[in-house]
Amino acid sequence: MNVIETENLTKTYKRYKKREGIIGSIQGLWKREYEEKNAVNSVNLKIEEGEFIGLIGPNGAGKTTLIKMLTGIIAPTSGRIEVLGYYPNDLKNEFKEKYAVVMGQKSQLFFELTANDTLRLFKEIYGIPEAEYQERKQYFIELFGVEKLMNMQVRTLSLGERMKMELIAALLHNPQILFLDEPTIGLDAIASRQIRGFLKQVNQEKGTTIILTSHYMEDIKTLCGRCVVINHGSKIYDGRTEALFEKYQNSKKITAIFEQPVDGSRFLTDGLMLEDTPHKKVISVPKEKTYQVLQAIMEENPSDISVEEEEIGTVVERIYKGRSET
Amino acid sequence: MKQFRKNYRVLKELVRLRFQNLMMFKIGFFGPFFVDGSLFAVQLLVFQAVYSNVERIGSWGKGEMIIYIGTYSLLNAVNMVICFFGICGISGKIKNGEMDLYLTKPVSPLFRISLERINPGSIPLVIMSVCIIFYGIHTADMQPGGKKVLCYLFWLLIMQVFYYDMEVLIRSIAFYTISTAKMEQLEEACLDLCMKLPGIAFYGIYKFIFYCILPYGIMATLPVQSLIGEMSLGLGIYGILAVCIFTGVTAFLWKNGIRHYNSASS
Repeated sequence: MNVIETENLTKTYKRYKKREGIIGSIQGLWKREYEEKNAVNSVNLKIEEGEFIGLIGPNGAGKTTLIKMLTGIIAPTSGRIEVLGYYPNDLKNEFKEKYAVVMGQKSQLFFELTANDTLRLFKEIYGIPEAEYQERKQYFIELFGVEKLMNMQVRTLSLGERMKMELIAALLHNPQILFLDEPTIGLDAIASRQIRGFLKQVNQEKGTTIILTSHYMEDIKTLCGRCVVINHGSKIYDGRTEALFEKYQNSKKITAIFEQPVDGSRFLTDGLMLEDTPHKKVISVPKEKTYQVLQAIMEENPSDISVEEEEIGTVVERIYKGRSET
Repeated sequence: MKQFRKNYRVLKELVRLRFQNLMMFKIGFFGPFFVDGSLFAVQLLVFQAVYSNVERIGSWGKGEMIIYIGTYSLLNAVNMVICFFGICGISGKIKNGEMDLYLTKPVSPLFRISLERINPGSIPLVIMSVCIIFYGIHTADMQPGGKKVLCYLFWLLIMQVFYYDMEVLIRSIAFYTISTAKMEQLEEACLDLCMKLPGIAFYGIYKFIFYCILPYGIMATLPVQSLIGEMSLGLGIYGILAVCIFTGVTAFLWKNGIRHYNSASS
């Protein structure tokens, strides 16, 4: 069953084009030129119940605008949009009870108070009965391992701890859909990994549909079976995350260490030498040439060798550029 | 009824949180009592300076003027206790995109914003304002009957709504423009003027402005007129109509504004 459906969903913003200098400002008082910018351009999207979807794209691609339209914060300019059978911008309370949104850069917690205090307010806002509230709160406290933090002032928590609290506050009313707009922004590797683990568990155990935007490809690769790539407001890819990376991750990085000095030029049949010292060679080779290069390296008796996937950042850059090249 | 019960529960929790928030810092809790009290004392000094040399304004003598001052202070103090500090944040929330978090919760955003920053520091002002009103009644040598007192309370109530409308209306303009700072300055100037001068002091174009366009002039004047038995039927109907119209315009601007809300980018 589809919980989200959009058809030709478009959001256009009008921007004032100011001419240069004070004369331009004075002219602007009487006559203004506007340009239209499609933040989201004819996006068709169908998301099924229980899916974990990643929304990726460079800055200004339209990811957050799309999330804001799906949650009803802003109204679309044109196109059809249906979330759980509702038109989001009608802002009906019964609709708002069925989803939750966490924005990495906007906190819904009261900074001077404890997370427990904010949760109490949310209990009343969502009309959760006391017994259910206690039960759900306990479930998430155990899941996130934050028992000792519940009575600490929010402002004294670390970014990672605060994000855990944000997620508890968002999940307290058992939403059917959880929108996450860059939840791991600014978090260190350990906190990000923990958050990813919790989200995976919530998706699997509660069947919550999760829509995640992130600049960290690790988030998308680890969590999202399906991902949607948006660039300049348009959808340029919608499919399996694995397939996306298979398509665009087209080289490998080989690092070889030698006890004796070695001439690296013989390994460079088709690759790119990233580091070349007498005892260490780091080479980027096309996927299909990996075997050949490895064979050549092995002939030189390396003391250590490693083969890594291409850096995610490079892959992402290629994905985003991929559209403009075709 | 279900919605009313829910709103009541949310309100109770908001009040509780606000008290807890204020009590996190001793100065934050006790400070407003001192600051608001000082502000009130300054206002009283201004009134005394203005009215010590004025024996009459229109048909009003000293007693009526004191009732007017008390009434205005009461409206202002109740507003400060309940919603002033919450409403003051509306423009900022619209401008910096904070409104997003209010729009995604199943409770009226305006209800929550209005009541999330109640200010107990202004409660003493409510009490002092009531004392001023009683002193005015005593000075005017009045003995208002139950009917007049009920009428007065009725007008106080709807003028409190009217005050709230005007505050929200001005800040709702932020949905459509970049800033409402100038509008807020105008509001402040009008309130300042109408706090010192009752509506009956305005004539001609000024009366039109302060009764019809920026109707701050009727806010404390009508309740006082109802108490001293000076209110005509026409004025009463006009007052109720004005409140209804401004409530309607405010509701329209707010609802329409929310639909046109261009949330600031992430």
